[in-house]
This record gives sequence, structure tokens and C-alpha cells, in this order.
Amino acid sequence: MNETVPNIDRLALWALWIGMALAASMALVVIAGRLGQFAHERFLRRLTGRYGPIIERALRADADALDALVRSPSRHRLDIARLLIFPLVHDRSPDRIGATRDIIRAMSLVPLADRWLRSRWWWKRVPAVQTFGLLRFADRAPQLVAALDDSNADVRSAALDALADLHDPTTLTAIIVRMHDTSLHRGRRAAALAAFGAQCEGFLVELARVDPAHRLNYAKALTICGTERSRHMLCEWTADDREEVRAAAFEALARVGLDNRAAALAIAALESRDVHERAMAAAALHGWTGAGDGATRLARHLGDAWPVAVRAAQALQSMGAPGRAALQPYAAGTDQAGVLARQMLWEVEAWV
Amino acid sequence: MSLTVIIAVFAALVTAYFVLWNVCQITMGVVGAWFVWRYQRRRNIRSRALVTRLAAPPLVSVVVPAHNESLTIVESIRALLALDYEAREIVVVNDGSSDDTLLVLQQTFRLVPAPLAFDQPLKTAAVRGHYRSMTEPDLVVIDKVSAGCKADASNAGINAASGTLVLIIDADTMLEPDALSRGVLPFLEDPTTVAAGGYVAIANGSRIEGNRVIDAGMPRSWLARFQIVEYMRSFLLFRLACASQNAVTIVSGAFGLFRRDAVIGVGGFSDNAIGEDMDLTLRLQRHFRAQRQPARIAFVPVPVCWTQAPEDLPSLRGQRCRWRRGLLQTLWRYRRVVANPRYGAVGMVVMPLTTLFEGVGPLIEVAGYFVTTIAALIGILNWSHYRILLGISVLFGAATTLLAVLLSDLTARRYLRGRDLALLCAAAVLENVGYRQLNSWWGCVGTFQALTGKGGWGPMKRREF
Repeated sequence: MNETVPNIDRLALWALWIGMALAASMALVVIAGRLGQFAHERFLRRLTGRYGPIIERALRADADALDALVRSPSRHRLDIARLLIFPLVHDRSPDRIGATRDIIRAMSLVPLADRWLRSRWWWKRVPAVQTFGLLRFADRAPQLVAALDDSNADVRSAALDALADLHDPTTLTAIIVRMHDTSLHRGRRAAALAAFGAQCEGFLVELARVDPAHRLNYAKALTICGTERSRHMLCEWTADDREEVRAAAFEALARVGLDNRAAALAIAALESRDVHERAMAAAALHGWTGAGDGATRLARHLGDAWPVAVRAAQALQSMGAPGRAALQPYAAGTDQAGVLARQMLWEVEAWV
Repeated sequence: MSLTVIIAVFAALVTAYFVLWNVCQITMGVVGAWFVWRYQRRRNIRSRALVTRLAAPPLVSVVVPAHNESLTIVESIRALLALDYEAREIVVVNDGSSDDTLLVLQQTFRLVPAPLAFDQPLKTAAVRGHYRSMTEPDLVVIDKVSAGCKADASNAGINAASGTLVLIIDADTMLEPDALSRGVLPFLEDPTTVAAGGYVAIANGSRIEGNRVIDAGMPRSWLARFQIVEYMRSFLLFRLACASQNAVTIVSGAFGLFRRDAVIGVGGFSDNAIGEDMDLTLRLQRHFRAQRQPARIAFVPVPVCWTQAPEDLPSLRGQRCRWRRGLLQTLWRYRRVVANPRYGAVGMVVMPLTTLFEGVGPLIEVAGYFVTTIAALIGILNWSHYRILLGISVLFGAATTLLAVLLSDLTARRYLRGRDLALLCAAAVLENVGYRQLNSWWGCVGTFQALTGKGGWGPMKRREF
């Protein structure tokens, strides 16, 4: 016991010193980090103050300003590139993109981006990929497509974003065939399709014909970019064996718009046994004022399962006078149908 | 002799606990730093723009349970209406307020009674009326009888929500302008995401305009300063480490974004849970892991919202005792998850650590202080050893809190002035002398209250910003 006490003493003193060293080093790291950040921000402020006006002039094709950027010290180049490229995330005007691309080329930053694109570190490949997309370097499209198969998920996501920004129709096939690739972010796949809009439709329709197994995905894609060209096919899909495909087809028809045949199918599908299909059929009838007894049939579903009832009510509200007329008889009720009908009528009166 | 042996054995146990606690904190700090580094690189300006590129971003219903919030409710709602995420609706639930919360809302936003049909999958106390605004079509107000808990009001809001995602906040929560777009990203990227929480920062001492924190600053009150570094430690060490392993066990009540169908699927907030936020998060984890369904609970490591911290001891004591009772109740409810391999990292790592450090920890700490003081007083431990032990405790505590301050600087540097940084560092050290012990003591009081079934909500002074 007597021998143990001095050992514990020593251990305790060691622990005290370690604690002190840890606390002091943490405090120093916090302060050093702050000083470093402060210095970097000051540098960026000065850089922005110095190059901001020059960049603005260079973007307006001022030769002297471009020359000043080209002759800028190499240690400033990356930050200047950021000042040039970051605004393109929200400003996608072709003129600005073209002017920025020319400046980046003149500043010899493209080889650097190429090097980063081949880097072994994913955090360098990601900004390189994004830069080529934001600047719409069409000649780098093959590299961006190849990046869709990168080993790193963040690079693959960045590549999808970049291809959406690049907006090059030659890459459309590569995007669409990866539509079923769940390793790519779902939202980014949707955003890429949205970026191309109706341009995707032809490919989607062609692929859907030879690949019925993934019909659900194609239908969902057509809810983003479909037009009346795909209506006929979607109408056929409403007879698919799979309930989820039928529901997705009606969802896509809601975007594409109805004709008499599609409307008849949607009205008939209101009697489907599947809740989701009925709900999507009701959604598809949004704004329909053509042939058929859509309004009356929709009104019967105000007391249906909630997803169906709410879509039926919204569709009726969007139909104008016939919809309001169909809602009116239910408005006195105290059940779900009654409250929904009153809410829709109230909203029309209050806001329209 | 026997007393000496007992004290020696006890000292060995406390030391083992102390070493384990510090090793875990530092490990969590390292894991957290890695998580933040990766997050900052993944969430660059282009990647965050995803929300703006979607044709139809998911509709988010912001549910604001409000009980006697007439002082702050209008500013809160105005700030919510000004969020940078357009696909959102605001559902305010006036939870039986006895002040003029509803009247203030009616006058400010021209509320009128309106028919409002909604699905009611979650049972709640009676709803007295629905109101729509004539000026803000995205604003819905539900007036209901209070059931005496936020959970019931949140459930009423979830019932009325038409969004696929619901954001549950406190009425005094001040969201960052980009909070929703940051919070929605994990749902857009990974369809298995069922919830997302975020780093909640303390607004005391900050300059606030229009319910937005314009300039973060350190408050005058040391009590609030201690809470600032304490929140940093809690969110940026423990929760980040949990998030890196998809093992988040608490999505804070001040900012919790959930997939509506997932919340309804597990029965919504439990109205008899004191810590309803932790209870719901654990229920989600348990449900999806038990069903072997992939589910992710994400964490946004940058400040997504700001909240008021109590600056007086009675309010703080009430809050801490309530949190303590909530924690113990939740740990007891989910005791079968602890050390159960079926629940993965949640069962095998996070819950055992939570039980040890947060469940039993305060009792061990208080007992440790008590026994060492007694040992010093009766001469078993000499005073120089006593001081050394206290010094070790303070210094290691300060080191881990400073690590959290460092992580906070890495995620989003908010306290910009040198004076504020100095105060942060000082608070990181000084909170270990007095404040931490006080917290542990309140932990014991809370435990006593939990065991005896005593304790209420406690006082909470609200201030107008």
C-alpha cells in the first residue's frame, strides 16, 4: 500500500500535466485557427476589393481587365476563379457563362482543373467536375459522363449536377440510363431530368418501350419532363398489371394534361380498388373541364380515404364553376366530405 | 482500515469512469471533426443549390406549437414566412394559451375562422377551431385545448400538415434563413432518410432583428455563457459522433424535420413522455431497425436555429430537472435497446454510453466529489491530492469543451469578435468550476424527482427579443 501511494501520486501529477497540456493546446489551436481564418478572410476581402471590379469589367469583354487577370499572381488565381465561378451557381445566363469560361481559359486555369479531375482525392475531383459543369465546357462532357461511374459517391453526385449544368444533349442518354442507379442521389437524378425538361422525353419513351420492367421509373420521370407526346403511352400504362405503375402513369398524366381518352381512363380509375391509383386518378383530373362526368364522379370521393378525398376536392376546386357546383351539395354535411367541400368553397371565395 | 479500502475501491471506480468519459469525449471530438470536414466539402455552394433546381421540392409543413407565446409569436411567424424555402406552409397550434396569443395572431395576420379538413391519424386533445389568414395563404392556425404537453400540440400540427415533411420547432426558435434548404437536402439525397436534426445554438447576447440572429455575441450572464459552450459540447461532440454512425438518438425539439408518414407510422409524439423528442427519435430507430428497414436520421452540423437559454437559476434548475426526468424515463422505456445487437450501433454503442454517462454519470460525479471531500476532511486524502484531482477534472473538462469550441469554429464561425472568443474560451474552462457540479447536482435532484414521481414543468421566463 505504501509503495502504491507514491505511484498514484506520480500518476496523478502526470494526469494533471497531460490535462494542462491538452487544455492549453486546444486553446492554442482554437486561437491559431481563428487567426488563420481571420487572416484568410482579410486576404479574401482585399482580393475581392482588388479583383471584383476588374472581374466585372473583364466579364464585359474589357481587354485591359482580362489582361490584369491573366497577369495576376499565381497565388491569387484559385480565389479569383472562385469569385468568377460561384455566382454561376445561381446566375445561369449563357452570356455570363461564356464570358467566365473565356476568362478561365485565358488565365490558364483549365489545365489545373483537368489535374484536379484526375486527382486521387475526391475532394479535388468534386470541385473540378462542378467547375466544368458550371462553365459548360462541352468538350469535357466525356470526362463528366465517366465521372458518373467514379468510385466516390460525392464525385458521382457532383457529376450528375455538372451534367445538368452542362445541358449537353449528347450526355442525355448517359443520364437517363442511370435513372435506375440508386447509388446516385434521388433528388439529383430528378434535378438532372428537370434541367433537360422535354428534351428527355424522346429517350425516355424509347427506353420505356424496350424496358417494361422499369416502367415505374419512366412514369415517375415523365412526371418531371413529360409532355403531351407521351400521353398515349401513359394511357396504355394505366392498364398495367402493377398498381404502382398505374398510379404513376396517372401522376404523370396530371403533369402532361388530359385529352378525352385520358380523362375517361382517369374517371374510370376513380373506382379502382387501389387507394393510391384512385388518388392519382383524381389528381390527374385537376383542371379538367372537358367531356365526361368528372366533377360528379370526383364529388362522390370526397368521403373516400384521405389521399383520394383531398385530391378529389382539389381537382373539383380547380374545375371552376362545374367543380363548385359539384361541391355545393356536400357543403352542408358535417362529415369529412362536408368539411372538405366547405374548405374548397371557402378558399375560392377568400383568395380567388 | 476498512473505510480506507472502501474509499480506495470507490476512487478506482470513479477514476475508471473519469478516464472512460474523457477518452470517449476526445474520440467523439476526432470523429466529429472528420464528420464536419467531410460535410463542409460535400455541402459546397453548388451541392446546396439542389433544392433550387428541382421542379417540385418537397412541401414542408412547419409546425409551431405555441402555449402563452404572445410576446414572440408574431416575430417568429414573420421570420418563418420569410424563409428562403418556398415550398412550405406554417401550421401554428395554439395549445390552450391563457394569454392573448390567439388574439395577437388574429389581429396581425387577419385570421378568420375557416373550414379546414384534415386527416387525423394521431389522437389529440379537442380542437376548438381552425383559422386561415386573409393575408398569408400559407398560414394555418389551429386552436386546441391544452393537454399540458408539447407532444399533443405537435401531433395536432402533424395531423393538419399537408407536407410530406414536417418541421417541429419551438415557438421561440429562430431559424437560420437557409435552415430548411439545408435540412431538406438529406431527404432529397437519400430516400431512406426519416428525420433530420440540426445544431441548435443559443441566442442570448446576440443582436436579433425580425426574429433573425444578425450578429452572434456572448451574453453578459455567465450562466448563459456556460450554456453556450455546453450546447456546443453536446451537439458537436456527442451528436456528431452518433450521426457519423447513423445512430442519432435525439433530434432536438427546437428543430426536428421528419417524414410525416414515418412519424405517423410510429404513433407520433408520445404525450406522456417528458423528453418527447428523444422518445420519438428512439422510437423511429427502434421501429426501423426492428423491421430491418433501412432508415437514416441525419444531422446538420451547422447552426440551423437559435433558442433562448434561461439566465436565472430557478428556470435553469427547472429545465435541467425536467430534462433529467425525461432522460431517465426514456432510458427506462427503451432499456431493451441497450446492448441489444439487433439495434446496431444504437443498441451496442450509443445507448450504453448514454446510460453510463448521462444516466448514471451525474450520480457518480456527485458521489465522487462527496467522497473525495469527506476523505480529505477526515484525513484519508491529503489536501494537495484533493486539489490535484480537482485540477485534473477541470483541465480535462476544459480540453473537451475547447475541442467543441474548435468544432463550432470549423462548422460556422459565429462569434466573430476577439472578446467573444476570449469569453468562449474562459467559459469553456470556468464551466468546470461550479456550473458543471451544479448541473450534476440537479441531475441527482431530477433523479430523485423521477423516482418519487414529483416535479412539474418548472418556471421559464420568456423575454421579448
